[in-house]
Amino acid sequence: MNTHRILCRTGDGLGRVFLGLVLFFLYVPIAVLALMGFNDSMHYALPFEFSTRWYRDLAGNERLLTASLNSILLALANTAIATTLGTMAAFAFARYRFRGRSILQLLLFPPITIPWLIIGTSMLVLFFWTGIGRGLHAMLLGHVALSLPYVIIVVGARLASFGPELEEAAASLGATPLQSFIRVSVPVMAPGIVAASLFAFAVSFDQFVISYFLAAPGISVLPVEIFSAIRKGFTPEINAISTIMILVSATVFLIFARISKFGGDR
Amino acid sequence: MRVETRRRWAIFGLTGPAYLWLTITIFLPLSAMLYFSFQKKGPFGKHASEFTLKHYEAFFTKDYLQALTWRSLEMGFHVTLLCALIGFPAAYVLAKRIKGRWREALFLLVVLPFWSNALVRIFSWTIVLRPDGILDRAVHLVAPGLPPVDLTDSYTAIIIGLTHSYLPYMILTCYLSLQAIDDSVIEAARSLGARAHTILWRIILPLAIPGLAAGSVLIFVPVIGSFFEPKLLGGTQGAMIGTVIEEQFTVVSNWPLGGALSFILLAIVLLILAVSSPFLKQHMRSQ
Amino acid sequence: MRKAGFLATAALVTALVAGQAAAEEIRVLNWQGYGTDEAWATEFFEAQTSITVVHDYFNSEQEMLTKLRTSPGAYDVVLINSAFTQQAADEGLIQAIDPSTISNFVDLAPGLRDAGEFKLAGNLYGVAWTWGLTSIAYDYTEVEPTGTINILWDPAYAGRVALRDDSVENIYIAALATGQNMNDPQDLDAIREKLRALKPQLRTYWASEDEWNKEFAADTFDVASYWSGSASRSAKTFGMPVGFLIPAEGAIAWLDGLSIAADAPNPEGAAQFIDFMVSAYHYMRWDTEVGAPASANAAVMNALPASAFNRQVLGNPAATANLQFMAPLSDEKRELFLEIWEETKAYYAE
Repeated sequence: MNTHRILCRTGDGLGRVFLGLVLFFLYVPIAVLALMGFNDSMHYALPFEFSTRWYRDLAGNERLLTASLNSILLALANTAIATTLGTMAAFAFARYRFRGRSILQLLLFPPITIPWLIIGTSMLVLFFWTGIGRGLHAMLLGHVALSLPYVIIVVGARLASFGPELEEAAASLGATPLQSFIRVSVPVMAPGIVAASLFAFAVSFDQFVISYFLAAPGISVLPVEIFSAIRKGFTPEINAISTIMILVSATVFLIFARISKFGGDR
Repeated sequence: MRVETRRRWAIFGLTGPAYLWLTITIFLPLSAMLYFSFQKKGPFGKHASEFTLKHYEAFFTKDYLQALTWRSLEMGFHVTLLCALIGFPAAYVLAKRIKGRWREALFLLVVLPFWSNALVRIFSWTIVLRPDGILDRAVHLVAPGLPPVDLTDSYTAIIIGLTHSYLPYMILTCYLSLQAIDDSVIEAARSLGARAHTILWRIILPLAIPGLAAGSVLIFVPVIGSFFEPKLLGGTQGAMIGTVIEEQFTVVSNWPLGGALSFILLAIVLLILAVSSPFLKQHMRSQ
Repeated sequence: MRKAGFLATAALVTALVAGQAAAEEIRVLNWQGYGTDEAWATEFFEAQTSITVVHDYFNSEQEMLTKLRTSPGAYDVVLINSAFTQQAADEGLIQAIDPSTISNFVDLAPGLRDAGEFKLAGNLYGVAWTWGLTSIAYDYTEVEPTGTINILWDPAYAGRVALRDDSVENIYIAALATGQNMNDPQDLDAIREKLRALKPQLRTYWASEDEWNKEFAADTFDVASYWSGSASRSAKTFGMPVGFLIPAEGAIAWLDGLSIAADAPNPEGAAQFIDFMVSAYHYMRWDTEVGAPASANAAVMNALPASAFNRQVLGNPAATANLQFMAPLSDEKRELFLEIWEETKAYYAE
């Protein structure tokens, strides 16, 4: 055949190998994490000896289990709220020109720029003074605030790649702004919305600094428990619960992906 | 007039809720913190309010603070660059070279590491990187004569850990941008005789800039403020401006200094973004 | 109808009363895994007093202070190091304790029990509980110490030294090494130089006992700063070849006390819990089964077997002659120490 074809094929092959290597890199710690959850040694010493004792220990560890459940619920609530509010704002930025738009966009940076530590402690102070107090509700306030910039940027990036032509076409065919939004804009934004909600879920799930300062005594979320465990003594029970959590969130993700059938039909 | 009012309401209604939330949870607390950064002492204990610039002056008079800030910016730059060099090609392969079911599955795989807890991931890296750890054993399987491989407590380890943590951001944002590029445009260019690298430089990259830019911002900004990854992975090499700020809250009650350093860091970031945004805007407008 | 109504009311009243009786609880704020949250201890206490024990933890003294400041009414018992007790009392975070409510008070060593750091304006704010040393621990299969603190600076151990990432502790070590009063060092430049001189020696920092043990087991370092209670645990419970040295220049001594939060919901229960914590029973089990720092309870310390780590190390008068107890530090001093240490860390990272 012609050299172009052969080059293309090789290029494709190399590309796939590269992607494979990237995935390998991404999964090395996850694999170690999961494997060590099945290793008998308490000190993560090799050689590997299979054992399920950490999972059995975990079953009796109420503190870790409650914390994990709290993390999931908090992340789901955060995702719902942040994705909704963020998508609305991103749409406004992309489709409307108005005074103050640049300033509003600039204001998205503080939540991401300032170390979470500062945001956490300043929230703690303000919530203490205003009587909002600490607890899961305070953590939710914090998590949504952290997720919003990511949602707006991600959905915004998606919208930036699509001009307003589709919506204008819909308008010229007689659709109201609301109809156009639901029937045209949302499907167009869908991959961005899904990606943004995945971000939001991860931000909440992974977040520990804010949760740490805003957690009320006795009620905790998983990352905070893990941090305390690192300080005090780390047994592979932590690996066990983390592995379970990854599987749980993978399921959540799959459900999302199925529902929105994103990424496939352009 | 009515259209104008409806438009105003639409904008207000769309952006209002998000920004109200941000006001209560970010801007008001940060304002409080900004106020404290000009106070001599933090908000606890009984003492009168005393205005001072000394915490801001500290940055300009103490060399180590500037050195650590520079170090943190370098760290941010290294991580962002690595994420772009690795993430962009990966996103390209995923968006353009893989179709259908596989693409969905691989996308899931790319994003999944997001949901392991950051602390545990970092700890797992120490297991991988330590002597007699996974990396050491793997290297010695291939080349048994080498000395023990120990990457723990090093700048390299910090970069590896951070790149690993933030890579999915870049892949995700680049993927979204690349996926939006119409294949027919590429086909047309090819049928007109354009070579592969021309297509890459003239068509694909410019159209993917929003993704690269978004990914870079999402990575650079948090990385420069990170503290627990440098502490856990860097050991004695782990001193960063983020760790200094954290210590103002966890070791002493010097909230004003912690706040002042944070705002200086924020100012630097805004400066960088302000300087680079005309360049980015130009690229984004030229489509 | 009437009968059913009566039964229902009786059931309701019983439930209410029972609920009240079972609802007594106390909340304890402490380091995780530091004596108060041992399962056998809380179970014993709950069986004796019907008071449930709920724990919350902190990872640094600053965090402890922040939690006390921002959660009024959330805690009953708080562990406060004697260097912080007066500050907490002054800020109104803890309340005065009546020694007569602590039955084991008389058994406490007077030197510790009556320490000035636990008092403010004549009132008692903390009950002496445990004390220990921060000094040098080493791998005795690799290291033969010569009794000086300068072993940390010995080029023979270049790259094999570990320190805790704690500004106050390390300034104190440098102060001892330069022959100064650690609580009031006059020559800070000497301290700066001494710390910087550690750069070729230092392999890593440790932040918790668990991390220390893991690094030690992985043979990362040979000589390190460490706490006496933890060294006892590493040697005894984990069977590691850990030796503990009190150098001629002296060692850092610390004293932990138990206090009652200012707006504790259950101060009587708190006093009962503290009484239990300083009791001989609790300490004996704690040290024997787990390994603990030294107790302020002089009676139980004398009852320890002669082979006990604490007895051997801390019972030696010659060694303990040069101990310097940590005194309260003003905020300014603490911030200065932190600045020196952070500058040093930046230097290490260059």
